[in-house]
Amino acid sequence: MSRRGDEEYDYLFKVVLIGDSGVGKSNILSRFTRNEFCLESKSTIGVEFATRTLEVEGRTVKSQIWDTAGQERYRAITSAYYRGALGALLVYDVTKPTTFDNVTRWLKELRDHADANIVIMLIGNKTDLRHLRAVNTEDAQSYAEREGLSFIETSALEATNVEKAFQTILGEIYRIISKKSLSSSNDSAAAANIKEGKTIAIGGSETATTNKPCCTS
Amino acid sequence: MERKRSDDYESGPLPSPRALDRFGFVKPDANTSEGVAKTNRSAYEYEKIKERRRVRKWRKMIGVGGSDWKHYLRKKPNVVKRRIRKGIPDCLRGLVWQLISGSRDLLLMNPGVYEQLVIYETSASELDIIRDISRTFPSHVFFQQRHGPGQRSLYNVLKAYSVFDRDVGYVQGMGFLAGLLLLYMSEEDAFWLLVALLKGAVHAPMEGLYLAGLPLVQQYLFQFERLVREHLPKLGEHFSEEMINPSMYASQWFITVFSYSFPFHLALRIWDVFLYEGVKIVFKVGLALLKYCHDDLVKLPFEKLIHGLKNFSEDAMNPDTLLPLAYSIKITKRLEELKLEYEKKNGKITRSREISENEKPILPSIQSN
Repeated sequence: MSRRGDEEYDYLFKVVLIGDSGVGKSNILSRFTRNEFCLESKSTIGVEFATRTLEVEGRTVKSQIWDTAGQERYRAITSAYYRGALGALLVYDVTKPTTFDNVTRWLKELRDHADANIVIMLIGNKTDLRHLRAVNTEDAQSYAEREGLSFIETSALEATNVEKAFQTILGEIYRIISKKSLSSSNDSAAAANIKEGKTIAIGGSETATTNKPCCTS
Repeated sequence: MERKRSDDYESGPLPSPRALDRFGFVKPDANTSEGVAKTNRSAYEYEKIKERRRVRKWRKMIGVGGSDWKHYLRKKPNVVKRRIRKGIPDCLRGLVWQLISGSRDLLLMNPGVYEQLVIYETSASELDIIRDISRTFPSHVFFQQRHGPGQRSLYNVLKAYSVFDRDVGYVQGMGFLAGLLLLYMSEEDAFWLLVALLKGAVHAPMEGLYLAGLPLVQQYLFQFERLVREHLPKLGEHFSEEMINPSMYASQWFITVFSYSFPFHLALRIWDVFLYEGVKIVFKVGLALLKYCHDDLVKLPFEKLIHGLKNFSEDAMNPDTLLPLAYSIKITKRLEELKLEYEKKNGKITRSREISENEKPILPSIQSN
């Protein structure tokens, strides 16, 4: 799929992919942005980056996604990337209970480093490994409800629900942003910026992802 | 390219005999155009002739099993440096790496230690290591077979190191160092070379790349950012306008010494120099890449810039043009100044790290220098 670089979009959303090492973050990203899956993929060192533009609620939304190394020690580098992110996909592996247990620690990590109103979606990945499943859908679902997160199960390998996961989180972000710009006193100015395709998602940090900040969410 | 996952713990099947390059990596696509294959072949022939000449000189220089090495090094250090910069002959690489890194001496001083670490000790990092084994050089034939000899050696070296240095343990990225070494030497030799690098047998210790907080990564990124601004001011300016910082593209360069995603023949040439001259070469090669691609990079907006910084063109990564360019960049003095500046800025952190280093238990016979 080829995309023009100077494409137009209504919104630009920054999203981070986090979760324990080996849960399939990079393959979720490659499935979403390139429709590829690689069994022989290398572990992610540091951060990787990809984008995709799609229609969300009738608007053209460009998502800038940062994929991060999962090992705890890498948080020294990766946590800087939470700042300015409007969404976080928190991934665990449905065949590895410890990766689900660690979700609590990842939430704390987000609370410490990300913007307070970041939209978080919990993702149980690798549902294709049916015979190895060790985390119940219901348990994860009720955990997500308690914590106020959206929840979905995916298989990056079988391309199940990956598209839906991104659609859902981008839709949620869109609803929050559009509500905000409606209630904003500077409504018309904000709308004008949106039309020009300027970014909405800037935290003003050195690692923020684009060069033309116009407003902070 | 989709295949079914297999999760049994027996040795996997041998990888199918797909086309390999001369280092043992599976070629991305065996059916690529004939033209490419032809140019590769003639380049390969030329390399072979050059290599034979070099091997003769090198054999003379190191003597049988490296017996003349130290003598030669003392007598003609500049000849050694020049020859290493031209590339160590592939058939002698493993031996020479051990000689120049000081790992040979560690090995001889510590008989039986590696075996002890592998067989009798247990490591808290075992599961982390296992999880990454098949994700380290997955396209190299030696590491492809599930639980095959390559994967087992990789596991052993990493586990042994995680026991040897429990403060570092195992950190993602170390596998690429160990994997690269294992393609040129035995497990035990690779382990001691890893020790020599991380504990600093010849050059400054690298363990800070992997310790909690990744302090050395942070320091190197700080130094690199400043060097970019000083050596390539226009690009440095463009980077800050586009809000690009080196953690977005250069952390892998330092953490794996270019072994993660660069063409293997280039990585090897960098390692030749890295083991002899130290981490300086990583900065120089990084700057050389940016310099070589400067005129393209300054025009790119954020997203394309990131892509460009992670996917350099093939001609940018040709060792015979990139390395001479890297050698021409002088940074030694500035690098030291920037290190002091960074330490001043982060004074507290540095001091507390030094204390923990001194308290670290090191095997009795290992001299930490």
